[in-house]
Amino acid sequence: MSYVLAKSQNDDILKAGECGGAVTSILKYLLDEGIVDGVLAISPCDDVYDGIPTFVTNSEDLINTAGSYHCAPTMIGGLVQKYFFDKKVAVTAKPCDMRAIEELIVRHKINKDNIYVIGLNCGGTVSPVSGRKMIDRFYEADPDDVVSEEIDKGKFIIELADGSEEAVKIHDLENEGYGRRTNCQRCDVKIPRKANIACGNWGAEDGWTFIEINDEKGQELIDGAKKAGILETKSPADAAVQGREKVEGIMINMAKKVQNAIYPTVSEMDEWSRCISCYACRDVCPICWCFENCELNKPYFKDVQNIPPSPIAFQGVRLSHMSFSCVDCGQCDDVCPMDIPVSLIFDKLQKKYFDRTGYVAGVSDDVKPPLYSPEKTEL
Amino acid sequence: MLEIKHTLCPSCSVGCGINVILNDGEIVGTFPYKRHPVNAGKNCLNGRTSIESYQNKFQTALVSNSETDTEKAIGDVLKELNSVDASDVTVICSGNNSVEECKAIKEFGESKNYNIAFYADNLKDFGEVASYDDIENAASVFVIGDLLYENPLIGRRIVHAKQNDAKIYALGKSDKSVTFNIADEVATGSVQEFLDSNSANIEESSVIVFNYVDGQEDLEKLENANCKVLPVFSKSNSKGAFSVVDAKSEEEMIELLDNTKVLLVFNDDVVNDIDYDFTKISKIISFAPCENDTTAISNIVIPIKTWLENDGSFVNAMGESQAFSAVVESDVLSEIEIIEKLNG
Amino acid sequence: MADDLKIVGLLCNWCCYGGADTAGTARMQYSPNIRIIRVMCSGRINPSMIFKAFQEGADGVFVGGCHIGDCHYDAGNYKWSRRSKIVEDILEEFGIEKERFRHEWISASEGEKFQRTMEEFHKTLTKLGPLELE
Repeated sequence: MSYVLAKSQNDDILKAGECGGAVTSILKYLLDEGIVDGVLAISPCDDVYDGIPTFVTNSEDLINTAGSYHCAPTMIGGLVQKYFFDKKVAVTAKPCDMRAIEELIVRHKINKDNIYVIGLNCGGTVSPVSGRKMIDRFYEADPDDVVSEEIDKGKFIIELADGSEEAVKIHDLENEGYGRRTNCQRCDVKIPRKANIACGNWGAEDGWTFIEINDEKGQELIDGAKKAGILETKSPADAAVQGREKVEGIMINMAKKVQNAIYPTVSEMDEWSRCISCYACRDVCPICWCFENCELNKPYFKDVQNIPPSPIAFQGVRLSHMSFSCVDCGQCDDVCPMDIPVSLIFDKLQKKYFDRTGYVAGVSDDVKPPLYSPEKTEL
Repeated sequence: MLEIKHTLCPSCSVGCGINVILNDGEIVGTFPYKRHPVNAGKNCLNGRTSIESYQNKFQTALVSNSETDTEKAIGDVLKELNSVDASDVTVICSGNNSVEECKAIKEFGESKNYNIAFYADNLKDFGEVASYDDIENAASVFVIGDLLYENPLIGRRIVHAKQNDAKIYALGKSDKSVTFNIADEVATGSVQEFLDSNSANIEESSVIVFNYVDGQEDLEKLENANCKVLPVFSKSNSKGAFSVVDAKSEEEMIELLDNTKVLLVFNDDVVNDIDYDFTKISKIISFAPCENDTTAISNIVIPIKTWLENDGSFVNAMGESQAFSAVVESDVLSEIEIIEKLNG
Repeated sequence: MADDLKIVGLLCNWCCYGGADTAGTARMQYSPNIRIIRVMCSGRINPSMIFKAFQEGADGVFVGGCHIGDCHYDAGNYKWSRRSKIVEDILEEFGIEKERFRHEWISASEGEKFQRTMEEFHKTLTKLGPLELE
């Protein structure tokens, strides 16, 4: 593991990208050199609140994916698994994307050799619809005038078309039920260290991207992009490394505080009575890959008569299948038509599992979640 | 090559957004459209499986159940139309059609002096209706029909209302109604009884949401209610179709069908909607993207573009017009193109 | 013993099932509430089977496997023992007392241990009463 500061040598990318444009430049290098067939990144569709996974095969189109989109709580693990198993691709990944990818690699659902992961440090994401409401309510600005947003120094900052900025403390937003998604608030994995490289602005000086190189493949990426003349790098000063550690530490501490809240058990949560058995939570889960073969589809568990389903025969079964691998991406909460906080119990069970085994889904170095291992050990 | 494109859900009149995943040009799945103001990326099971209508679409025209070239089948349609009096022909418009298509269908029917019929769940247009936000902010919500299960993204707004301390009164067709799971007061009787017994509870700040009525007198009652109401339809553009064609009640539909010799059905499943002996009609001609109860008994079936291959706009239950554009290219004819051909 | 408590017992073919057999052959008395399902190994028991049993009306679920080190398939009972912890954690979520779920290592010769375990488990369940799931 080593650190570099990097900056794009391409003026257009430098202008469009966030803090140095290293991510876009590295992606361009991978495409131009033919190392990958395509790049899966996020680009805004309707507006800055509408980040959509976009597959780019022509490096000229990469410019549309430059910049960061906090109001795009997407998940790409499932897409990579379903559509890119046998393709050479590069993807950009938040920590939860990376954790999902890692869990799928462990399950042989993603081929590690085929994929380059450019990790993105992440302080959290905001749901687009509630994000717009939040800007309408807490800022002087019209949500439609926002051209970019940023989370920095405990504030959610918006930049408007005229170049002006407005900032509100995240804490104040979240106290009122806005701000980052609830699973992001409790997420304590802020830097995707399983990715080949992890990029961000924490600790970086203006105009540079701070990159943590996590493995050999990551080092090759940086060396290659430099050699191709698209990236310039320099070593970060000690103060920069410490600055970054400090930001990460603060973020993790904030998360731990939220985690200390006492979560109710399923039987105490009346939200479950709203369940309409639509299976959206299962279908969106990046870890659930059995699809039609899901045990819940078997005649002995499929219960079309009773809605809400018996919690233990629905979420209980799902919990036993994958809660120990829950990466707390919050997609199940996002897609639930009844707004049930599904991820709460899955994340809680993964944390209990961590207490028993020390295994953090998509982060730990164990080859497999201990539940699957043939080892002769008891818990 | 992976692409994700925006479109609207065609499953009911709520007007949810949905993203469609294309792989090498083929529609392979759906993806949450979290930016969409109606549903914030949440879709019910019907929404997520709506793309099946594209995967199961008709490959060719059918004349007497045998595969035929579309041009020839259109020729057969013209022959049928020319063999009867205009007054014996009924054109069925549908909430499945976009506003643009409804207009073309109406113009076509009127220019030929055909009868035009449009059926929207035995409901009618209420003009100004409650918005989805109105439901959330209501002091009490009266729910007629199993909206939590049948229109879950309205159901979600009812849940929000409950979280905002609204009292929820639900009427269902049976005690299995899923909406009952969140309701404070439940009933299974008639709509009339439900409205009468609650007349003291319905205040100006209430909202009545419904997706069925027992009869036309219920509609009158709802129209005269002293609060905002929101009818929710089973088809994506029923609200938009109202602005083009007047809706008929079930009785009026049956009366019209009794006097029909040739029935032209534009993207509708009238056989499923109306309890009627359709074998009494000598010729049924369906324009539909994929199989349904009506195409199953149609003499001629002409395939049309699914909404995924088409451009247009839908008006959702609360009266908001939303445009959508084709996510895949296709050389299947659209209804508008077919109507042009029928006009010669 | 005319109570209505239902115990579902998932017993490993090679050890605990034999233990139950030994108890039976020796005419050892124990409460008849258990319904035994023979499985080839405790390692093949999924948590979902336990949940299904509770959902279908079991008041208690018992799992019996070979002693650690004696597994006919080498490590099946290790797998089960790890899995059982997950089951405990999940049952807690659904308001099912952890005492309603019990697992023991019982060899084919330990008829007396099987008898004793059943008696104890029955006593525990009698104290807890029938399970009421919402």
